[in-house]
Amino acid sequence: MKNLKLKSARAALDLSQEELAKKCGVSRQTMSAIEKGDYNPTINLCISICKVLGKTLDDLFWEEE
Amino acid sequence: MNTAMIIGVASGLIVGLIIAGILLIVANTDKKLKTEYDERQKAVKHKGYMYAFYTVLVYQVLMVFVHLGKVEMPVEDFALDFTGVIIGCIVLCVYCIWKGVYWGLNNDPKRYYVIFAVVIVLNCFPIIGPAIHGTLTENGKIGLPMLNIMVLIMMLSVLITLVVRNIVDRNSTEEEE
Repeated sequence: MKNLKLKSARAALDLSQEELAKKCGVSRQTMSAIEKGDYNPTINLCISICKVLGKTLDDLFWEEE
Repeated sequence: MNTAMIIGVASGLIVGLIIAGILLIVANTDKKLKTEYDERQKAVKHKGYMYAFYTVLVYQVLMVFVHLGKVEMPVEDFALDFTGVIIGCIVLCVYCIWKGVYWGLNNDPKRYYVIFAVVIVLNCFPIIGPAIHGTLTENGKIGLPMLNIMVLIMMLSVLITLVVRNIVDRNSTEEEE
């Protein structure tokens, strides 16, 4: 399932996948895979993404029923 | 292979490893020998190693049957063993590249392309010379040049996969962004 919350949070800060990936210490392909829902990141990477985007884990990774 | 040839090959391998180490340091942006990967890349690589392992396993079993059946191959035995190693490497590289693990976090792609070009050119010389002089095979079997041929096949496989993956990746990124 696509992570549209992550994509919109990134877009809100006007960051490209490449820029966000670099800030989080991962490759652009990994960030793309997370957004596409092809890869489930570890909690450490989730926290790292949240810190960069200024969001909480709930904001970005909690799936509403 | 006689003793002198074995010593020659062993020396060549050691020199090759040293050069490879130096090239890796030069090609990495942080001048470290070790390439850094993120968590997804590591997971993909682990799977790639598994597929490569099973490929080499199947290849070696096939070679056992070839030897048991006394099938005459136009390739020396040591070159056949090396071929198995290279096939395993090809499986690992192609799988990892296709799954989006073509560059580590500290790799400089441009420098790697230069290294690829140099490796391809260097591996062409030992093939072209004997091919021109008609000494590529001895007693109907191809020996040392087979190693260069396999390395060339591996480098070309890697390059082709890189190019195709890059094109696919670029198109999908444009759609995503």
